[in-house]
Amino acid sequence: MSAKIDWRRTFGLREAGVYYALLILLFVLAAIASSRGLPPYLSAENLGNIAYQASLIGIMGVAMTVMLITGAFDLSVASVAALAAAVLVGLAGSIGFVPAALAALCTAAAIGLINGAIVQFIGINAFIVTLGTLTAVRGLVLILTGGRSLMVENPAILGHMLAFESTRISLFWPALVLTIVIAGAGIMRRAPLPIAAGLIIGALALLAGPTVAVAAPVIYLALFTFVMWAVLRFTVIGRRLYAVGGNAEAARLSGVNVHAYKLAAFVLSSVAAGFAGILFGCRLGAINPTALQGSELTVIAAAILGGTSLFGGAGSVVKTVVGALLLFTLTNGFNVLNLGANYQGLIEGVVVVAAAAIYTVGGNRRRSRKPVADTAPEAPPVVEGATA
Amino acid sequence: MVTHPPLLSLDGVTKTFPNGTVALAGVDLDLRAGRVHGLLGANGAGKSTLIKILSGALPASGGAIRWHGEAVRWTRPRHPREAGVATIYQHIPLVPTLSALENILLDERGTWRNRTADRERIGAIVSTLGHPFDLNTPVAQLPIGARQMVAIAQALAGGAELVVMDEPTASLAGDERQTVYRTIRRLAYDEGKAILFVSHFLDEIMALTDEVTVLRDGRAVLHAETDTLDEARIAEAIAGRAVAAIARPDQARSLGEPRLEVQDLRSPGKLSPVSFTLHTGEVLGIAGVLGSGRSELMHAVFGSDPDARGQVLLDGETVGRYPDEAVAAGLALVPEDRAEQGYVPQFSLAENIALARVSQRGGAFIDAASERADAKAAIDRLSIKAPGGDALVTELSGGNAQKVVVAKWLTDDTRVLLLDEPTAGIDIGARTDILKLVRALADGGLPVMLVSSEFEELLAICDRILVMRDGRMIGQADPYATSETDLTLMTGGTTDVAAAGANA
Repeated sequence: MSAKIDWRRTFGLREAGVYYALLILLFVLAAIASSRGLPPYLSAENLGNIAYQASLIGIMGVAMTVMLITGAFDLSVASVAALAAAVLVGLAGSIGFVPAALAALCTAAAIGLINGAIVQFIGINAFIVTLGTLTAVRGLVLILTGGRSLMVENPAILGHMLAFESTRISLFWPALVLTIVIAGAGIMRRAPLPIAAGLIIGALALLAGPTVAVAAPVIYLALFTFVMWAVLRFTVIGRRLYAVGGNAEAARLSGVNVHAYKLAAFVLSSVAAGFAGILFGCRLGAINPTALQGSELTVIAAAILGGTSLFGGAGSVVKTVVGALLLFTLTNGFNVLNLGANYQGLIEGVVVVAAAAIYTVGGNRRRSRKPVADTAPEAPPVVEGATA
Repeated sequence: MVTHPPLLSLDGVTKTFPNGTVALAGVDLDLRAGRVHGLLGANGAGKSTLIKILSGALPASGGAIRWHGEAVRWTRPRHPREAGVATIYQHIPLVPTLSALENILLDERGTWRNRTADRERIGAIVSTLGHPFDLNTPVAQLPIGARQMVAIAQALAGGAELVVMDEPTASLAGDERQTVYRTIRRLAYDEGKAILFVSHFLDEIMALTDEVTVLRDGRAVLHAETDTLDEARIAEAIAGRAVAAIARPDQARSLGEPRLEVQDLRSPGKLSPVSFTLHTGEVLGIAGVLGSGRSELMHAVFGSDPDARGQVLLDGETVGRYPDEAVAAGLALVPEDRAEQGYVPQFSLAENIALARVSQRGGAFIDAASERADAKAAIDRLSIKAPGGDALVTELSGGNAQKVVVAKWLTDDTRVLLLDEPTAGIDIGARTDILKLVRALADGGLPVMLVSSEFEELLAICDRILVMRDGRMIGQADPYATSETDLTLMTGGTTDVAAAGANA
């Protein structure tokens, strides 16, 4: 009994494929950029930009991953985000930024509660319920905005909102502190992985120099991801979220309140979408009723790229964020290098399906390891059944 | 009255699985047209394997099968079907969204749906069955009994000469059973079909069949005309062996203090009101055949049946009616179906064991070191054959996975252990390990409720046995004064409980 690391598994395509994909993509784009004599692609500024562009999808993707882990599904996130943005922009002028943001979060939470209650207590499939709320909530946004763009007129409040969204935060010193903490913990525990990770972060920080900074949403995404990762990894709540998705009946008979966990996942998903909507509203101080339309599919694509199972019981929030970064690196690469935006959709789609194929094939290989039989194997099921 | 030549005859048919398990050790069986042949046997006696061989789902390892006197070798379900053998399973595989007619025509070749000729042909067949269902109704809307008739009509539409029925009445209500009986009689006596009828219910075997074969340990140990037999003789042939590995003490243990009191516990449609008391150090057996309400009773006690009503008191305090409350109070359930209800397939052995402990103890953070220690302790205590606590539970064999599900609850916080068929589908070694453990736990003071289809297990380790049939508790048996034959009679027969001489 030891916590041995299975290196082949940890660094295999199934487990680490999304990291390889992101690294390969970055280096390919960097190579193209330098061959065309463009400014260096792998600059701290450009990478910060990608992270900034991916942050809203990333925040929703992290919550979506938790949702998928519990075995449910939420298509309504983009509409909820737009509604939260509309509530924020609509109310901020009269009641101020913070109360308006709280109202937006409460609205989002209420929709999550409605979604979850319908799915859990009436027993309608989550796909159908959230497809309904996707449409209905978007309709609510149209009603609230009267079909026009709303904006915040009060310059003081607008400033407050812009500050919340676009403040740039220096990364240099935090990164060095992080290096020391992670590498130190690795040395104390004699674990090689954290030491290596810490040293890489430190090296990147020194390479980028003391002026490197990112926009606030990237920090929000990092904090949210870290919290959810820690909850899933270290707490009983996390263990139970996986158990509920892996085998709800076994979890229930082990004394887990399955309804509560599934309901909580819906609320978390909607609140995260609401927060993403607040960031979106703050970005421009305005909201257009069709904002974020279709982003729910990008959110789900990020989770799938990160290897989250649509059937529940497996998934990683960190890999979902990497999946979101991968998608936005593609977009960013096409824009920056002017590679022809027409190809973008095709390539993104192929990447998502290829990733799913790798996970499925890799997953099968792991499952096909035969158990040590100590009893008669069950006969194969009679597929053709009771027919004459 | 054996006048017809056999339609199908098995001659020394054997089946050995690749890992060496012998499921059939040479079975002889003759099935004749116009006769109903009953097949009985305990779990693991080889009934299912025999049916799978007859339906072509499994090839036989040895022996000969003759159909109309000619040797045949069936390796695919298609072969016996085309020859004229139809198999009707207990869980009827029909497409719920299609109409009864389309289900009946499911395996017919051809291009067009909804041909008038088909409809007339099937309509004629169904009318010989007495129109038990409407041809256009989707199967999902038919009651279970009517679905059974759809499966029978399907068999007839394919022109079957031999119909194999695997416990066709197990999930049916009384009047639905009568319909099935009538149909079987008409098929055999009016239309000259051969019927192989598999059942656990001795009374229907006596009433319905012309001859009987009993399987035990992969052999046909009894074959006789039904009218020369009585229920007791059949039950004895079914039972006939003992759990050698577990010695049963000579005299009854004295019961301890009452711990769990169940008062008027009931669940509409599943369980008629029951009341009983479970004592310290007692193993209380629940005897009953599949569908007798034994699992329903366990779920009602544990609070995992939302429809259940009534009182469950542990040490005088009411236990909440939800599983999480029951677990917090100290109840522990090892459910019947380990894959569907027992473990989380994506989890390792250690994580599965930890899942229940946390529900009992509370706590917010995962303590990896103590989980590894718990897993190691469980592996040692239950002799689980596993590479370690990190092994996925799905990589273990059935018996070892079952031990993991049991190990989840082996904590100091478990105050009552409910075991629903803990030995189903596992080999004799793992089975003995689990039974010994259960007895040892009870001797240590833990009250245990044990459901098992293997009555010899109940007799070997239980202090008292409750007998269930049709969702009702029909009596109590004293394991020291009851034989396996008696239990088989009580659970499967019409015999009055008192008459079986088993009143505790």
